[in-house]
Amino acid sequence: MAKSLLLISRQAPWSGPSAREALDIVLAGGAFDLPIGLLFLDDGVLQLASGQNAKALQQKDLSANLQALPMFGVEDLYVCADSAAERGVATAALALDELNILSAPQIAALIDRYDQVITL
Amino acid sequence: MAAVLLIGSVMKFAIALFSAAHAPSSRRALLFAQAALAGGHEIVRLFFYQDGVYNAADSLVTPQDEQDLPQQWRAFVSDNQLDGVVCIAAALRRGVLNNEEAQRYQRSAVSVGAPWALSGLGQLHDAIQDADRLICFGGA
Amino acid sequence: MSTLHVLSHSPFGDSRFTSCLRVLGEQDALLLCGDATYALQPGSSPFERLQAAGLNLFVLAEDLQARALDTPDWAEAINYAGFVELSIEHDKVNTWL
Repeated sequence: MAKSLLLISRQAPWSGPSAREALDIVLAGGAFDLPIGLLFLDDGVLQLASGQNAKALQQKDLSANLQALPMFGVEDLYVCADSAAERGVATAALALDELNILSAPQIAALIDRYDQVITL
Repeated sequence: MAAVLLIGSVMKFAIALFSAAHAPSSRRALLFAQAALAGGHEIVRLFFYQDGVYNAADSLVTPQDEQDLPQQWRAFVSDNQLDGVVCIAAALRRGVLNNEEAQRYQRSAVSVGAPWALSGLGQLHDAIQDADRLICFGGA
Repeated sequence: MSTLHVLSHSPFGDSRFTSCLRVLGEQDALLLCGDATYALQPGSSPFERLQAAGLNLFVLAEDLQARALDTPDWAEAINYAGFVELSIEHDKVNTWL
């Protein structure tokens, strides 16, 4: 059976290529039909804020890549409730559907469940 | 208990590096890799991603009285006949090109060669599947 | 299942230290290296948090030596061979890049 990978994305969307390159690992894994989970933690939750405008900074729209996750077979999507609350990001209005909002103990259990972890 | 039983047996490591050659974490990755082999373990692949691609660049010139990490990585990979893969997308973005890519994009600068191979993120996932442990180094 | 968490950033600079302690499981261990070893600066707030947390705490010896820090009796200093062994003793390694 294929080993599962949890990617923990901690980067804000407009701080250089880091958030996109983290997402690329997830999309590549999905393309190979590997069991992949994605957790948005710390500033990573800011990737999910709605109404962002990539054009204002002449950037590519990260949200298009995020929307593509289910098409790549990546459906295990998680958000850290504490990170969102600390940053004033309302979990009811995030840019992705089907997100699981997790408490800290639930995140500890999530990390435990996966075979390998990458935190970027 | 299962983990305790594994001590003493050969483990297969995948090592991924995300930071530039001058970052302390890149030196830490090399020392970990050397210790893993010294302990009788196997490294199924080194994968350089994000700024980690700079560790494979021939074009880095380290001051004589400082540790030349790109050179040490080259020697380590060559001497131990390891599989050293540099993410091609991350490398292109950072101007780390091999001969083939320089020709493809008509650039005059070639900055990476043997023992490194430029390839895609699939090689990272392959390594994760092959290995018992994935160990990442990066940041500070 | 257990995870070895690895921190290398200063505990004073960002949210890694706090978030890592928050999601640490009971079976997990924490390895401090690089600037993360400044968490063992006596009298600092990270030092007090680690001391109170009572977790399985390891620290890379070379980074302590470089910074003239001591190993408290509730932590264990290791070298690279020890790092490799720790990564084997735990089911996975989560480095906070």
